Amino acid sequence: MSVRSIPHARTKGRGGSAAVYALAAAAAFLLLPFGRPGRPFLTLDPAFRPWNIDAPWLWLLPVLALVAAAAALAPLPTLRRGNVLTFAGAGAFLVGAVWLVTTRTPFGMGALLSLCLLVVVVGYGLSLSGRVRADPFVASSILFTGLLVLLLVVYPLVTVLQAAVVVNGKFTLAKFVATLQTNRFILIENPFTPRSEGALVRYFALAGLVLAFAWTLWRRQPALRVVLITLGGGLAGLVVGLMLFARGAVPSSLTLAVIAATVATLLGLGFALLGQRTRFRFVKASLGAFSVLPIITPPFILAFSMIFLLGRRGLLTFDILGISSNWIFGIPGVALAQILAFTPIAYLVIQGSVAALDAALEEASTTLGASKWHTFRTVTWPLLRPGLANAFLLTVIESFADFGNPLILGGDRNYLATEVFSAFAARFDQAEAAVYGVVLLFVVLLVFYAQARWLGRSSFVTVTGKPSRRAFTRLPGGLEAVLLVGFAVWAAVVVALYASIIYGSFVQLWGVNGTLTLKHWRDLTNAGVPVFLYTMRIAAISAVPAALLGFLIAYLVVRQEFWGRRLLEFGSMLSFATPGTVMGIAYILAFNTGPWLLTSSAVIIVLSFVFRNMPVAIRGGVAGFAQVDRSLEEASTMLGSSSFRTLRTVLVPLLVIPIVSGLIFAFVRAMTAISQVIFVVSPGNQLTTVLLLGWVEQGQTGRAAAMGTLLIVSMLVVILLLNLLTRRRGGITGEVVA
Amino acid sequence: MRRLFLGAALSLLLFAGFGSAQRVSVLCSPDLAWCEALGPAFKAATGLDLEFIRLGSSEALARLRAEAANPVFDVWFGGTGDPHLAAFNEGLTEFYKPSSWDDLLPSLTKSVGETYIPLYTGALGFVVNEGILAEHNIATPQCWADMTDPALKNLIAMPDPNASGTAYTAIATLVQIMGEDAAFDYLAKLHQNVQQYTRSGAAPGQLAGRGDVAIAIQFMHDGVKFAEEGFPLTVIAPCEGTGFEIGGLSLIKGAPERDAAIKFIEWALSPEAQMVAATVGSYQVQSNSKTPVPAAAPDLDTIKLIDYDFAKYGNPAERDRLVARWTDEVFPQPR
Repeated sequence: MSVRSIPHARTKGRGGSAAVYALAAAAAFLLLPFGRPGRPFLTLDPAFRPWNIDAPWLWLLPVLALVAAAAALAPLPTLRRGNVLTFAGAGAFLVGAVWLVTTRTPFGMGALLSLCLLVVVVGYGLSLSGRVRADPFVASSILFTGLLVLLLVVYPLVTVLQAAVVVNGKFTLAKFVATLQTNRFILIENPFTPRSEGALVRYFALAGLVLAFAWTLWRRQPALRVVLITLGGGLAGLVVGLMLFARGAVPSSLTLAVIAATVATLLGLGFALLGQRTRFRFVKASLGAFSVLPIITPPFILAFSMIFLLGRRGLLTFDILGISSNWIFGIPGVALAQILAFTPIAYLVIQGSVAALDAALEEASTTLGASKWHTFRTVTWPLLRPGLANAFLLTVIESFADFGNPLILGGDRNYLATEVFSAFAARFDQAEAAVYGVVLLFVVLLVFYAQARWLGRSSFVTVTGKPSRRAFTRLPGGLEAVLLVGFAVWAAVVVALYASIIYGSFVQLWGVNGTLTLKHWRDLTNAGVPVFLYTMRIAAISAVPAALLGFLIAYLVVRQEFWGRRLLEFGSMLSFATPGTVMGIAYILAFNTGPWLLTSSAVIIVLSFVFRNMPVAIRGGVAGFAQVDRSLEEASTMLGSSSFRTLRTVLVPLLVIPIVSGLIFAFVRAMTAISQVIFVVSPGNQLTTVLLLGWVEQGQTGRAAAMGTLLIVSMLVVILLLNLLTRRRGGITGEVVA
Repeated sequence: MRRLFLGAALSLLLFAGFGSAQRVSVLCSPDLAWCEALGPAFKAATGLDLEFIRLGSSEALARLRAEAANPVFDVWFGGTGDPHLAAFNEGLTEFYKPSSWDDLLPSLTKSVGETYIPLYTGALGFVVNEGILAEHNIATPQCWADMTDPALKNLIAMPDPNASGTAYTAIATLVQIMGEDAAFDYLAKLHQNVQQYTRSGAAPGQLAGRGDVAIAIQFMHDGVKFAEEGFPLTVIAPCEGTGFEIGGLSLIKGAPERDAAIKFIEWALSPEAQMVAATVGSYQVQSNSKTPVPAAAPDLDTIKLIDYDFAKYGNPAERDRLVARWTDEVFPQPR
């Protein structure tokens, strides 16, 4: 029997709660100012009390709220009560929202509270009337998350796109066409070279077409698939040709993303398997710690450290190996920096799937006589695919959106994310920046689609509530050796990079004058520490809603059926996919005036962190939910629990690992984010990374190294503390991060 | 559920605790150390508080445009003059004539007219790591013409004109020295020697200081600063003459704290305030003629300066045209 046939077994008493929310909405309207005159949020400006506002129709809001409260308490049939709650609540909400939007008055506390409460009232209405086949909690959550994503992700992007295609109040596409034709964007036929790049790219496309066609004939594919696969092969050939021969931002970013995401995902997978199945306990212990190190560092600091270690005069390359080469500036250097930075992301995502693998399945396979390789290929691998797809998706998007590494190590190749920034910040060209933004979004959409296709509709249930704690089959010997060597190299590079950051903070001038000094640390206490503490506070405040909202959206998307489910998922991923610089500018354009005035405050920084970091929690949650059997929730629902109670008492304890990972991630990413916040910081709201990038750019290497060390050490402490906490509480699996 | 939503509402109230304070907000574009030194000195002189954000001058202009409808900043301090001029022409800033206007170097005030206030000036030059040159047995270049020597291949760094105002100043300078077509021929030859074009105007000097390249093309005062910090660098003024920048100071139109902003501008142009720069390693020549020139600063009297046409080359249309020509005709050439 499906849960959905009994969506609200207990409807008694529900009306009472809805009445409380409706009354509270009316009270907030009466007691708090509906608007505010300027930026400060907590003003009690009498001009914005409802009775001083010259709009009598605004009083419909409390009236409709009272109607809803009365309907909730009156002895009405459930269906009619639901309808009245829906329409009265939605009407009141619209009255308030329309007033804010038409008068362009910044929202006041009264507006914020009453509108939020009215959303809950509508949620009750939709649930009771059966319009949304879920209980009030789920219905309200759908509305809330939908509105938040609309306001804080979609609306800013629409604003920036509008600023791009509307020039002087007129719609025009001329800017798009002009930007796509510049050789900063893409240059295929270079007039200054003897060879014809256009012809080479065409040959590659043709080769891809022919190879794919031959493959389809060999495998005797049906006609439709022959056409599709042949076209796909042609496209792949074209892309490879462009990556090899074309210049400009598109080929650079594409090449970078392909290299970085592939290597990072493979390394992440290898490390996750190694961590679970190696014989060496030492490797197990150090794996978590090592792979976490790069995430707790702003990427550009690592890139910066790479110059000192691997540059033309680098300690390793020049002083030890005697190589004098500038290979590090350009795609190889950026790719290496990105691999170092994104492998941990891949590792954490894949580790979630690896931790949920069931040893019993593999045991069954080996008992039936399968070899280790066969078991790996036919049992373990299919179970890992959702995690791999998620990891690949995340790293591709991260690579495209990455701003810090190309900025430091990019040399003079162009990259899409840095071009967004250059177009906006250096060439003062909003429209051009938006064109780059649109291209980035388009690429990300393709990746997203490919991921959905690859995962398909297979079911990957391994947490069934039935106990299964058996030892895993060991990895095949050859594979384990390769992974161990890979991990050793990784560890050596990471140790060297971090050691040189710490070293850099204690010498006069990193790379030039090695006299030991504490000067940079003294400088840091004056100039850096207050900013650092402030950033910690902001990051902590933003991490909790990011993790909870991400988990909630994952729950809604995976476990509930409602209109707009895919839209919600897509909308919330959009803020992650959008390059940070575009999102930062979008926030400034959208939230600088009008009803949603937020700029020049800590609030806008917190909100940008929440919506930027939430998608990681969503992906983690989605992957986690995919492995929890629905029968557990059905049992809870059958026994009369509301979906909130089920979520809290059944699902949260089972999925504590993805939630805590999401929380850690959100906090750490907030501490180390740069591209989006570089635009929203304001006087008095300065953040560590923005300050740090300034120091790096200005050549204050010692101070930057000291700040980097402080950041790394404190993030490490935070992660260890959280990890200890979750260990003590215990979950279904042991290890979280470190 | 009730607890959850009440919690959400409460946390929203918590955010409201953050407010903006009553103090002068400065958008600061020069070196960060200079920006950091402003606050304490301003407080000591006037008793007023100062908060700043450092953004390069191009980013600063982008930020001012985005916030035009509801300005956050009161004053824009420093940064190269072209964006200040653009901001003035777009109505983002307003001209304020300080009481010390007549004390400012006449060559500067004449160049900019009543658009923005000149704050400092500095000339373009070569910042050279002579140790690296010695390894390759190359003499230190003294002229723009020396820079196209094939022996210097992969040993030069300069900023990217698409990202940096410094690089544009270099192109405009060469166009004014050589004439446009000859300047682009020259840039194409220079391109063969350039190891990388950086995004930030000050970055080439760091590359040279670390030995990633031997020569950086950038503002000489930035080179002096790196040398003072201990990088093995010397600063050379090109023999054919060189261009210079005029750093700007502008009052933001619609500044939230206009009175404090005017107090800040008056203070920032005083010799006492301008002397702060050299104490934190910023060796630009300050605009007030009464400000003593620090010993380490490049002496503009001994440098051959061209008669830089700020009106013509500060015009955004001319800038776009020259940068586009460079991007189409120089940058794609294989090297």
